[in-house]
Amino acid sequence: MVEGKLGRFSRSVSVIGIGATPFCIIDDDPEMKGLTEGEFFGHAALMAMADAGLEPRDIDYFYHGAANPKFFNFAATPNMQVAEWFGMRGKGSVHHSEACCSGYVGLEEAVKDVASGAHDIVLSGCVEMACGLPVTHKPAHIRKPISLEDVLPDLEAIMDRAYTRALGAGHIGQDDWIDLYRNEYHLTEEQIDEVLNKMSYDGRRAAALNPLAMLRTPFEELAKNVGMDDPMEYLRSSYNPKTTQYLRGTGNAPSADGAACVIVCPTEMAHKFKQKPIEVLGIGASCLELMQPHNEKEITKEAARQVYEATGLSPDDIDLLLVNDFVLPSQLLAAEEVGYLPKGEGWKWVMEGRTAFDGDRPINPHGGRTSYGHAYGASGMADVYEAVLQLRGQAGPRQVKNNPKTAMLRGFGGGQNCRIPILRTVD
Amino acid sequence: MKIEKVVEKFYDGLAEHKLYGRKCKECGAIEFPPKYACNTCGYHETEWTELSGKGKLHSIILASTLNKDPWNSELKNYSYGLVELEEGVKFNATILGIRRKNAKKLREMLPLPIHPVFYEKEGFTTLFFELDEVEGIE
Ligand SMILES: [Zn+2]
Repeated sequence: MVEGKLGRFSRSVSVIGIGATPFCIIDDDPEMKGLTEGEFFGHAALMAMADAGLEPRDIDYFYHGAANPKFFNFAATPNMQVAEWFGMRGKGSVHHSEACCSGYVGLEEAVKDVASGAHDIVLSGCVEMACGLPVTHKPAHIRKPISLEDVLPDLEAIMDRAYTRALGAGHIGQDDWIDLYRNEYHLTEEQIDEVLNKMSYDGRRAAALNPLAMLRTPFEELAKNVGMDDPMEYLRSSYNPKTTQYLRGTGNAPSADGAACVIVCPTEMAHKFKQKPIEVLGIGASCLELMQPHNEKEITKEAARQVYEATGLSPDDIDLLLVNDFVLPSQLLAAEEVGYLPKGEGWKWVMEGRTAFDGDRPINPHGGRTSYGHAYGASGMADVYEAVLQLRGQAGPRQVKNNPKTAMLRGFGGGQNCRIPILRTVD
Repeated sequence: MKIEKVVEKFYDGLAEHKLYGRKCKECGAIEFPPKYACNTCGYHETEWTELSGKGKLHSIILASTLNKDPWNSELKNYSYGLVELEEGVKFNATILGIRRKNAKKLREMLPLPIHPVFYEKEGFTTLFFELDEVEGIE
C-alpha cells in the first residue's frame, strides 16, 4: 500500500451539537413502529440543533450518510429526501456512503468543510433503518421484515466486483485479525474465547446504563433465566453458540434502526453556543479493499500514524477510545494497534476490567456495537455522539471515571474504510 | 492512450490455466489480480507478466455460519487464507480441501506450499488454491 499525508486544518473546528435516536428495532415498539428515515434523521438533527441552541435557519449545509440507501430505503438521493424534515429545504447538501464507516466519514467531511472556510455551521448526520425493507409502491412507514437471507447476499456490495467476489477473496474478515493475534502471542482458542466473553460482559454492563443502547439486559439476568449463577458460564455455553471459529453470537453486532447527528463550527465561534465545545484535532484516513491481507489491521495502523503525526499527540495523550467493533475482537485489536493498550498485553487488561467503562483505560463506554446495536451507516456517528458526551462529562451513570480530555475513535467499515479522529475538550 | 482491457484478459487467462498479473515499470512490484497502476510505489504504469501460481499459504480461516461465501455454497471443504505467490504478491483467497478436522494440524505447519485450481463456474473460470500434498494429512 501507499502511505498518505495528513496536514493541519486551515482553521480549528469544534463539535457544538449532538443528537441521536435510540438504536432499536422500531417494529418491536408500538411507540416507534412506522417511523421513517426522514423522521429518524430529522429527529436526530433537531436534537443536535437544540443541544447547540440553533435553529434550522442557522445551518449552512448538511451531509447525509447511510451505508446502503438503495437497499434499505430504495433511495438514490436520500439527502434531498430527508432535508425538509429539519427545515433545510433549498440548502446545499450531499449524500455519502462508506458502509459502516459512513458516520466517521460524515464527521470528516463536515470538519473539512468548515476548516476550508466554505461554510461556518455544518450539520452531519447518518441514518440506517436496518431492520426492515421497503415495500414496492408503498409509502415509507410501511415496511417488510428483513432476514439474514436478505442481508447476507447484499454484503457482497462492499466487495470489488471485478475480482474479489468471483475469487472468493472477501469473506476472511471476521476471524482474520484475531487469528493473527492469537498466533502472534501464542494464545489458546479458549483464552481468546474468555477475552471476547469478558468484552461482551463489560459492554453489556455499560449498555444496561445507556438508554440509547439496544441490548440492555445484563448477562447475570440472562444466565439466571436459564438456571445459571455465573454470567461467564452463560457466555461460554451453548446458549451463546459459535458463529465463526472465534466469534460467538454475542461477538456479532445486532442490526438496529438508528440515526445520529453532529453540528460543527469554527472553534473561534463555538463559545457562542450552549455547550462546551469539543475540538476535532485531526482525522487520519486509510482504505484497503477486502482482498488485501490483514486489511483492518493495516488501515488502522496507517490512519493512526497519520493522525498522531498531524496532531503531534501520542497514545499516552488519549484518555478514551471508541472502536466500531461490530466484530467484537476489533475492540481489543484496534486498541493495541493504535497504542492505547500495550501490544500483546491488551487482553490481560480486558480480563482485569481495565477497559470497561469504569476502568482506568475505558473503551466503548456506550456498550460497544454488540450491545449498543449496529445501524450500519449511523453507528460511527453514534460513536461520535458518545465521545462528545463523555468529553463534556454528560454521560450520567456510564460516565468514564478518568476525567477524559482527549478521545480517539477508530472508525471502520465495509470495503474497508478507516477513519481515526482525535477529539479534545477546549480549555 | 487506448483503454486497455485488463479484467477480461485476466479471466480469459484463467480459462487457459494461466495467471496474468501486471508488473510495475518503475519498482518491479506485481499487481495481482492485475490493475493499471502500481499500488506498491504509486507509479502510473505497469505491463503484463505471467505468474507461476506457486506459492505459500500463511493462514487458515475456517468458513462458518456467518462468514460463509454465498457465491461458493456448492464447495464442500474450503477455508480462506492469506496466499503469497513466489513472485511476491500477497492476497486473501479461497483454499480448497481444508476442513475443521485437519485445520488444527495444518495450522501448526504453516506456511504450506500451494498451487492454483482453475475452477469452472457458469460463464467464467475462477481461481482458488489448494495445498500441495502434505505428509500425514488427508
Ligand atoms: Zn511500483
